[in-house]
Amino acid sequence: MKLWNIFRYEFAYQAGRISTWLCLAVLLAFTIGMGQLISTNDGVYPNNTLHITAMTVIGGLIWLLMGASICGEAAARDVQMRMHPLIYTTPVSKLNYLGGRFLAAFGVNALLVLALPVGLLLSFYLPGMEQDALLPFRPWAYLSVFLIIALPNAFVATALQFTFAVLSRQVMVSYMASLLLAIFPQLIAVSAANLFGNWDLVKLLDPVGVAGIVVNELGTWTPTEKNTRLITLEGMFLWNRVLWVSVAIGLLWLTYLRFSFTNPLTSSWWSRFKRRSNVQTNTYVQNPLVRQTAITFPQVERSFGFATWFQQVLTIAWASFKKIARHPAGLTLVGAIALASVAFSDQIMTQFGIPLLPTTQQVVDYLTAPVSNVGTAWVVIPLLIMYFVGELIWHEREGGLSDVADAAPVPEWVLLTGKLLGLGLILVVWMALLLAGGIGMQLVLGYDKPEIGLYVQTLFGIQLADYLLFALLALVIHVVINQKYIGYLVVLFVFSFMAFPSYFRVEHTMLVFGADPGWWYTDMRGFGPSLGPWLWFKLYWAAWALLLAVGARLFWVRGREQSLKYRIWLVQRRFTRSTTWVAMLGAGLLLTLGSFVFYNTNVLNDYLTVSDIMERKAAYELRYGQYRNTLQPQLTATKLHVELYPEQQEARIQGTYTLVNKETEPIDSIHVGSVSGIEFHGVVFNRPAAAVLIDKVLNHHIYALKQPLQPGDSLQLNFVVHYNQHGFSNSGTNALVMENGTNFTNYDLLPTIGYQHHREIDDAVLRKRHKLAARPALPSLCDREARKKPFSSAQTTLETIVGTAKNEVAVAPGALQQTWTKGDRHYFHYKTSASIGSEYTILSGSYAVQESKWKDVAITIYYHPEHNLNIARMLESVKSSLAYYSEQFGPYPYGNMNLVERAGPGGGATADAGIIYYGEQYALMNPDDSPDGFDLPYYILAHEVGHQWWGVARLTPAYVEGAGVLIEGLAVYSGMQVLEKGYGDNHLGKYVNYLHSTYEMPRSLASASLLRANEAFLYYRKGGLAMHALSKYIGKEKVNDALRRLLQKRTSGELPLPTTLDLYQQIQNVTPDSLNYLLHDLFKENTYWRLKTEQFTAAQTKAGSWLVTMQVQAQKVIVDSTGQEKEVPMNDWLEVGIYEEGKELNKPLYLKMHRIHSGKQTITVRVPRKPDRGGVDPNHLMIDLRRDDNMN
Amino acid sequence: MTLQITNITKRYPNGVQALRDVTLTIPNGMYGLLGPNGAGKSTLMRTLATLQEPDMGSIYLDGIDVLNQKEEVRQTLGYLPQEFGIYPKARAEDLLDYFAVLKGITNRASRREVVEALLKQTNLWDVRRQKLGGFSGGMKQRFGVAVALLGNPKLMIVDEPTAGLDPAERVRFLNLLSELGENSVVILSTHIVEDVSELCTRMAIINKGQILQEAEPLKAVAGLQGRIWRRIVEKRVLPQLEQDHKVISTKLLSGRTVVHVYSEVDPGNGFEEVAPDLEDVYFTTMAGHIGNIKPEVAL
Repeated sequence: MKLWNIFRYEFAYQAGRISTWLCLAVLLAFTIGMGQLISTNDGVYPNNTLHITAMTVIGGLIWLLMGASICGEAAARDVQMRMHPLIYTTPVSKLNYLGGRFLAAFGVNALLVLALPVGLLLSFYLPGMEQDALLPFRPWAYLSVFLIIALPNAFVATALQFTFAVLSRQVMVSYMASLLLAIFPQLIAVSAANLFGNWDLVKLLDPVGVAGIVVNELGTWTPTEKNTRLITLEGMFLWNRVLWVSVAIGLLWLTYLRFSFTNPLTSSWWSRFKRRSNVQTNTYVQNPLVRQTAITFPQVERSFGFATWFQQVLTIAWASFKKIARHPAGLTLVGAIALASVAFSDQIMTQFGIPLLPTTQQVVDYLTAPVSNVGTAWVVIPLLIMYFVGELIWHEREGGLSDVADAAPVPEWVLLTGKLLGLGLILVVWMALLLAGGIGMQLVLGYDKPEIGLYVQTLFGIQLADYLLFALLALVIHVVINQKYIGYLVVLFVFSFMAFPSYFRVEHTMLVFGADPGWWYTDMRGFGPSLGPWLWFKLYWAAWALLLAVGARLFWVRGREQSLKYRIWLVQRRFTRSTTWVAMLGAGLLLTLGSFVFYNTNVLNDYLTVSDIMERKAAYELRYGQYRNTLQPQLTATKLHVELYPEQQEARIQGTYTLVNKETEPIDSIHVGSVSGIEFHGVVFNRPAAAVLIDKVLNHHIYALKQPLQPGDSLQLNFVVHYNQHGFSNSGTNALVMENGTNFTNYDLLPTIGYQHHREIDDAVLRKRHKLAARPALPSLCDREARKKPFSSAQTTLETIVGTAKNEVAVAPGALQQTWTKGDRHYFHYKTSASIGSEYTILSGSYAVQESKWKDVAITIYYHPEHNLNIARMLESVKSSLAYYSEQFGPYPYGNMNLVERAGPGGGATADAGIIYYGEQYALMNPDDSPDGFDLPYYILAHEVGHQWWGVARLTPAYVEGAGVLIEGLAVYSGMQVLEKGYGDNHLGKYVNYLHSTYEMPRSLASASLLRANEAFLYYRKGGLAMHALSKYIGKEKVNDALRRLLQKRTSGELPLPTTLDLYQQIQNVTPDSLNYLLHDLFKENTYWRLKTEQFTAAQTKAGSWLVTMQVQAQKVIVDSTGQEKEVPMNDWLEVGIYEEGKELNKPLYLKMHRIHSGKQTITVRVPRKPDRGGVDPNHLMIDLRRDDNMN
Repeated sequence: MTLQITNITKRYPNGVQALRDVTLTIPNGMYGLLGPNGAGKSTLMRTLATLQEPDMGSIYLDGIDVLNQKEEVRQTLGYLPQEFGIYPKARAEDLLDYFAVLKGITNRASRREVVEALLKQTNLWDVRRQKLGGFSGGMKQRFGVAVALLGNPKLMIVDEPTAGLDPAERVRFLNLLSELGENSVVILSTHIVEDVSELCTRMAIINKGQILQEAEPLKAVAGLQGRIWRRIVEKRVLPQLEQDHKVISTKLLSGRTVVHVYSEVDPGNGFEEVAPDLEDVYFTTMAGHIGNIKPEVAL
């Protein structure tokens, strides 16, 4: 009965608070808003389970951060309000008191999270909500999500908040509980999953569900499942619920035990979690005689003025700093993440799982994130700022000292500045922790050249400024709102706006507080031109900050008068002369800097919103799509004279295109366009022609030839491009031409010939919205017309003269003909010996050059002098690759091979004809190349060299489904062969694991077949695995043979263009009929095998050999692109392997093909020595999502 | 130094008329503001301490416009609120030092000197390194006094300062104040008559936001000479007495009731004349027999 009364009173109290209703309003607005914003496609209806679940989980996260005060109030309000002497002395039992309070908080929270499914329902069925067709109403879709996700989450969160608040006796410590719950388990879960490769761990450990449910579980659902499947309580998820509810109950039990109805004796937060020590100090003072003697005070001098104010600022700052530093979360959270970073540095400093040289640039890249980035662990910093700003602003009032403090002769701005500075000091300490963590990571990894300067610049320069701006904003909001919890809510809302401005349809960087176009730092480029725009934007925000600070001073609450009317009156009063000056200064700066930034982003540069860009794409298609099939001459030779001025970010290019009519009909008009929007001019043909249309907005020009170009005839087109970075744009500066880091492709700067289909919108929903005809993202393999269009239209030779700064080396495809200096410029003349397809890059930097040779092929590596770790490895890989591929697939067509380090991030490499570019991160990969290691960089280069055969220059596939398999799939396969040749099957096995691992990451089973592949995952992963399996079944000689034939038959550009059907044909030719089923399964269907060895027994025979019996379970299923699963009967050849103890997979005791049929079966094998383990498909040739049970 | 309060009126948004046309002239020395709980004392004190705005009226401390020159007032102000908290984790010495900086004592050496002197004066020197969280009510109060005394304030406002003090502490504190009152304005609000009678040279009695009487305690007591009469009666005759006489106070004394009545002539009826004290002044004023009580304005 008492429990009920306590519950009822508390519930009514919570229901009467404005912040409760605000929280409710935000949750409803979130779900309804998201329902309107998110569009669906691929046959998924708006009210599908995925949307309902994801929104409930994400809304739950918002609740977690917003609603923390509800439970905190219920748990600790009495102590904080100093009501506890009255309540603790009533005859209420601990159970009733705590129970009633907890249940009331849980009840309110449960109702709040109920708002999520309710809001979703409203978003679908509220009149006036514009909706497409809906699935029928399924109450269980909402109920199950609420009952098994939202409600248990609310219980766990409330329990943790309750425990924290009760034991700390502070209301807002419950916010810490929310913070912990929102960040840490997910981080731990995801890192554990990454560490052990077991993604089920995430499902088990994540209490909130963002990583566990939304990403991990829902990510694997097929469209059909999204529509119909319901969230059920089973498997890992069931254990997750059990685990966390048990944790919650345990916490509540702990709370019950540790709580007592006594006056808080100690204010130490931690001591309430441990056993009480004797902290009662002796405060009894000998009562002195009552003396009537005169009292003397030292006469001290008081001074008021700037020096005093300055000292007061410092004193307040130091006091604020100490308050935060002593808070249990003050230094621990950031310190813990820094420490964990050091502990897991070998996991963090990797690229594709390969250890990276932990240069300071790499570590800094890990340690820094924009304030509004919620995707890294560092989001803890803005969240802590939010929390501590509120604590600081309310410090005096909550301590009961505000009257005394407010009556002290301290100007408002001193209080304000002091608190901000105190927070700034904490930020400095946090940054120092990160710095220490960063250096720790480097030292742990054995890297001893930390660049302190770079750490200081990024952490104490850039990051600190960003965080301080945010802190000031939070401070001003708290001052103006003057309601602690509502202040927290508003700051949280503002933070979400900063994190996701696009949801609020805000894109311009000038409209998102504190935002900037981003900065970067690379070893080659340094900060390059990214720091300038960053700085201008920060100055612009600093001007805002100054105005905000003035606002904070004007609205600063002092004394007991807090009514809005009075405060507004006070604002007028406080507008003193100096305030006016500061405000005018701020406004002046804001106007000047704002205009300057705006001039840069919107006048010097085009400002285009995402929808503007889409509109332009749509306009391009609508206006010029009619020329899609207009015959155009083909680009066969390109001559460029490029003058680079890296210091000015400027390039002047004079170009000559030779165009040949390769069609059978005359051509009377030439279409010239620019993909990137960079203008070209000075277009001159070497025969009479007239401009018919010059569209400078969509960058499409049409020239009519006086005399049509006859078949076989050619013409020349001259043009000039003058590229100059003017100021900076809304997204910063283009990273095209700059000191020690120039690289741009022809698509970045140079004109193109003909209508460019890749300028169209591919996304089906967006096409519909812009009233464009529906079409598949990629033309169908069955589309015979489409099969006549090549992946890239040009086959050009290239001759370039590149002039650059004196200290730089310029690189372009082809062999270096000549190099000279003229004045303070350095010139390079390159020329290709054969046509190189349609794409190329021109680079310039202060490169070191390493030259080598393989047979007649000159190999040149251009690299950043400090990035010399992998030079020998790269040379080795290129030479082995050239040797292997020329032997297997045919000769290498060029006389040279250039390898160039491309300034900028990125650990991968790309290839054009005769030239390979690799990112700066590639140069830092530090693989283990021992027999047990995995030399991925070696493979990567082999893969890129493979593109010299399987690439746009040699094998130009038709632009239809599966084209990527011919380019990437075959390069993957080729690279694997070279890796195996260089390092043996151990490294190859690691690479096969690497390919498989993506399958095991949570993803939908549904996908197209390999023949009709339409995504990178299929091109690289499935393509590689299928070709690898094939080489093991029929032998790599036969596969290579087939590939060689494919290449011979289909040389570049000639019709009919090659497709995956040709590949299939060639492979079929070399495959015995008995394995035709395998080809079908690998290439024509999306097939999964489920293979399991349930039992493995071995018994020694009298003869001394061993008889092995294995119980094997097998199943084969085909999943179509909508996710429909179909089991098919199998009777497949599969490897059966038996291994001795301690022996690797490459030393089998027994390895033979067996016929394995669907269902259970027993396999008996006799082996000469004692076996240890064995099973079916030990080398993982088939695609099986559970690889760990193949053997027993 | 004179504090001139003129026509101060304050009405809270919830309708409570906290101050009604308060006009007082307060010279150097101890000034007692006597009144029951809820009389408006704290509102007046907070207004003087720059923490609250009156609806009307003006306050001048010599040349300083208290309502509009808050910063200047704060530079000479010492304020001890009726209620205040402390940071439980802070140490007495540190927090006092902190406030010393806020009060403009920037010189480190003199700050140390002041802090030491005040801690000794308030008898907190021995516990200066202890956390305030462990302080008793009296220690806390003394700490508040120390904060208020920082920087030799010329205007000292102490709101019900003796509430939590034991008798010895109370005497010490009042001595401290009267010392200070030699060349500053010290305003002491209290509902305890002795606080005023013992030390204050001037006083005002306030109730329901109105100043009922402003006087020097000794003169006020003298003014009542021969007008306060006492009789000890049974409880049951009290209603009749209240009808017949101007009863100003009744006190229970071992089962019987001591009645004080106000009468300019001998009321007879067994009453005997007593020497009036300040308490009689207070009750007579509260009962409306003397002073300047105004009829409530009908709204």
